[in-house]
Amino acid sequence: MGDGGVTRTLRAIFKVAGPLFFLPFVLLFASGPRAQPSADEVRDGRYCANCHADAAVIWTGKHGTKADSRAPVSVGCAMCHGDPSEHVKSPGNPMPQRFSKMASADKNAVCNTCHQGSTRIHWPGSAHERNDVSCSSCHKVHTAHDRARDKLTQSEVCFACHKEQRAQINRPSRHPVREGMVACSDCHNPHGSVGPAMVRRDNVNDTCYACHMEKRGPFVRTHQPVQENCAICHNPHGTTAPNLLKQRSPFLCQQCHEPTSHRGQVATLSGTSTNASTLARGCLNCHTNIHGTNNPANISNERTFRR
Amino acid sequence: MRSRDAFRLTGIAAALLAGLAPAQAPAQNVEPLVPYGASTAASSASVGIGYTPDDSRRFGQYNGVTESGVYGLFDFNLVRRDDETGTWQHLFGRNIGLDNRLLRWEQNRQGNWGYFIEFSQIPRYEPLSINSAVGGIGTANLFIPTTPTSGGPVELKTRRDAIGLGFSKAFASNWEVQVAFRNEEKEGTRLFGRGTTGAGPAFGNFEFGPEPINSTTRQLDAKVNYTTSDLQLSGGYYGTFFDNHHNSLNFTGGQASLATFTPVGLPPGNESHQVYLAGGYGFSPTTRANFKLAHARATQTDSFIPGVPLAPGIGGNLDGRVDTTLAQAGISARPMPKLGLLADLRYEDRDDKTPVRVYITPASSTHDGTNEPRSIRTITGKLEANYALPHQLRVSGGIGYEEKKRNTSAVRVVSFRETTDEISYRAELRRMMSETLTGAVSYVHSIRDGSPWQLTTQTSGVVGSNLIAPIHLADRTRDKVRLALNWNPIAPLTLNFQVDNAWDDYKTRDGSSIGPMEGSAQNYAIDADYVFSEQWRATAWYSRNNTKAEQTTCPGASSSGVCGAQTFQATVKNLSDNVGIGVRGKPAGMIEIGADLSYSDIKDEYQQQALIGAPVASLPNVDTKLTRLNLFGRYALQKNSGVRLDYIYDRYKTDDWTWSTWLYADGTALSDPNHTVHFAGVSYYHRF
Repeated sequence: MGDGGVTRTLRAIFKVAGPLFFLPFVLLFASGPRAQPSADEVRDGRYCANCHADAAVIWTGKHGTKADSRAPVSVGCAMCHGDPSEHVKSPGNPMPQRFSKMASADKNAVCNTCHQGSTRIHWPGSAHERNDVSCSSCHKVHTAHDRARDKLTQSEVCFACHKEQRAQINRPSRHPVREGMVACSDCHNPHGSVGPAMVRRDNVNDTCYACHMEKRGPFVRTHQPVQENCAICHNPHGTTAPNLLKQRSPFLCQQCHEPTSHRGQVATLSGTSTNASTLARGCLNCHTNIHGTNNPANISNERTFRR
Repeated sequence: MRSRDAFRLTGIAAALLAGLAPAQAPAQNVEPLVPYGASTAASSASVGIGYTPDDSRRFGQYNGVTESGVYGLFDFNLVRRDDETGTWQHLFGRNIGLDNRLLRWEQNRQGNWGYFIEFSQIPRYEPLSINSAVGGIGTANLFIPTTPTSGGPVELKTRRDAIGLGFSKAFASNWEVQVAFRNEEKEGTRLFGRGTTGAGPAFGNFEFGPEPINSTTRQLDAKVNYTTSDLQLSGGYYGTFFDNHHNSLNFTGGQASLATFTPVGLPPGNESHQVYLAGGYGFSPTTRANFKLAHARATQTDSFIPGVPLAPGIGGNLDGRVDTTLAQAGISARPMPKLGLLADLRYEDRDDKTPVRVYITPASSTHDGTNEPRSIRTITGKLEANYALPHQLRVSGGIGYEEKKRNTSAVRVVSFRETTDEISYRAELRRMMSETLTGAVSYVHSIRDGSPWQLTTQTSGVVGSNLIAPIHLADRTRDKVRLALNWNPIAPLTLNFQVDNAWDDYKTRDGSSIGPMEGSAQNYAIDADYVFSEQWRATAWYSRNNTKAEQTTCPGASSSGVCGAQTFQATVKNLSDNVGIGVRGKPAGMIEIGADLSYSDIKDEYQQQALIGAPVASLPNVDTKLTRLNLFGRYALQKNSGVRLDYIYDRYKTDDWTWSTWLYADGTALSDPNHTVHFAGVSYYHRF
């Protein structure tokens, strides 16, 4: 086939297929704006998914359980984002409740419509509430995996703000946070509590006792700071000193104890029988039951947790 | 506030399991789903093996991968929802092939009823290497060599096996009953021992005596919730029960000087019962109040251990009882659009009603022989206000107050004060400088003082040494400054800067120059998150965390509190630099890869300096370096299945001297070994 033949062939193809090429454009302009969705399509979010396909994953979770009349799926996207009518008419019109532009209090008010009470009663006035933390700061609802609710990944969410603790959980003495066996929410209620630092129970000690109940006593011999607050001696987020202690022995003990007898000794590695408060278990080499002991032994001066 | 997904290195299990979740987005693909993240699209399962040629008890401290060998990797997350009834069924298993396994079954009809049953294990391997000839380890009867004796390797570990059960039922649209019960069995051994003064082999009369752990912990939480849009109430019962199957540790053999140091008491069983009512009420959309009332009774009536001499009249147990009453009320309001107000008051009375009896006769010079119940009453309050200023500025300020009142015994060896009061002033300025830049600066100033010091007093009434103000009771001035900045300079890049500085200034006792002096903490952090494309993303962070404590004391002060010829200051520092880098990518449609690197360089300094008298030597610094590299690659064989490869490099290096020269009188030696661990894993995953 010569050049003329090729030209003729292409012309023939174009003659037949040309109109097909323009057909989509013709149809596009002939149809005008996208057909208006039905009320049902808007209500249940099907129409929204045309543009916000990723967001539709929310319906695969709790929010999308149709049999639960409280679930947002019963109303659709409008339940949290407001009336979509104007936005549907023109995407340039923002949704009434556009989370990325809303104040934290307004965002939280949307979630609180359903999620309040029980463990969230003390959200008002909590440190998070006062610092403009919103529900969506930590929780992702348009995803199949909310990292804040996974013990393995929850700490990553918390560390977005709590950076000191991010470093501390890698210290040699630590809780098994990295392994996902202990999560921040095992000790803290991020939705507010009546305890300091939003601890899960009413105070620090009661929170620690949930796992370390053997420390509660009361004992025949009690150690005052143990009864008052575990955090006087321990940093639960991680330390280089053993047993999550804020400092090593004898420095920790010397912060309270009078320097009489052996208690004011200089820390040294050349330990002797009366000077062994630095190595091994430090002062606990003798005072082994430092959290208190219930040993009632009637032995002179047996008040120092040695038995 | 902006929350971002941040990559972080996790433990071996996380590294190996990551990536088995259904595909959503690169950052989500690398994590498995969990019980509460239920989704009808979430079902997945994976099976594989991992291998490490290295031994390290620290690497496997909480997952059991302590020895070289092959480990099974098995996880699943099966989720089903019946759309007709809204009934969910969820079976979840994580780390089934490792020691830190978690298994959970849950079924619920959303908004109606639900129940769950859960089983979990948490191991803890003592990371120290131990060689000991002590016999009976793991039991309550130890046999201690009388002379230093070389022994064989000893493994100390504990394991918690927990079963949780719970159910919930909603009724009458506003009411819900929730009950949760947890039973945990803890078994194993932990580092423990006994000792006393006096010359002895090696470092003296100190003997290795691991504590046997065999205890049961139970918790029961039952509550009723009432929830309407205005009023929320939650009331219930929380009970805890601890039962120790070993209440004493008996030693046979060992040093003659320790012959009377047996048995040693172990933690007694105890229990607590709390009833509570919490509530919240919305007076208006802008005014809300909440409260909590609770009363708890904790008792400890474990029988006294046998085999010890008893003073007359003490009975068969402590009759320990602590009643705790809590009352809290708070209100937050926004009376004007620009003004927010907050008030909160909390009262907690821990009343130790344990009877006081004479356990030791005759009294010694520093102890009257009685037990010492500890009661503490705490009152805290705060008032805060915030106001929105022009130019996206918001200013807030507040005042906080805490009063603690404690009791003490007549004879004591540590100075005491009945009451401490701390008042805090807080100010913060927050500004949204633009849609891409927000910042805040806050300052807190706290002053703590208290009632007059109660002097240490001997049985005879003679005043003892009163040189130290205990750190939690001492007068203290604390200043804290925080700067925070979030910046999106360009669309794919997010930067976060944070600086925290805190300074403590302690006041010594009148006439004394020793005790806690100063403390400080500085934390600097910068985080960056960059999204290169839909396929590639990276995060990086760096933080420096420094703390310092200065304290002064003197060796061998007289019983009346006069320092000898020497006074010295200890300056204890903890300095750390920490780095994290994470990358996720999808170089091809079927391939995903990721890498996480974390590194911490921690230095502990123990400087000691004589202020008076002969010079003193500082302790050697302790340098600890931790490195962890986690690589993974995933190849999709089909749309819903594929193969995942993992590699982990973990390095621990320290020159910690805590155990390096130590030798127990029985010959037991411990060490904290460095390690370099390589772990590789391959697994097959399937989603359905």
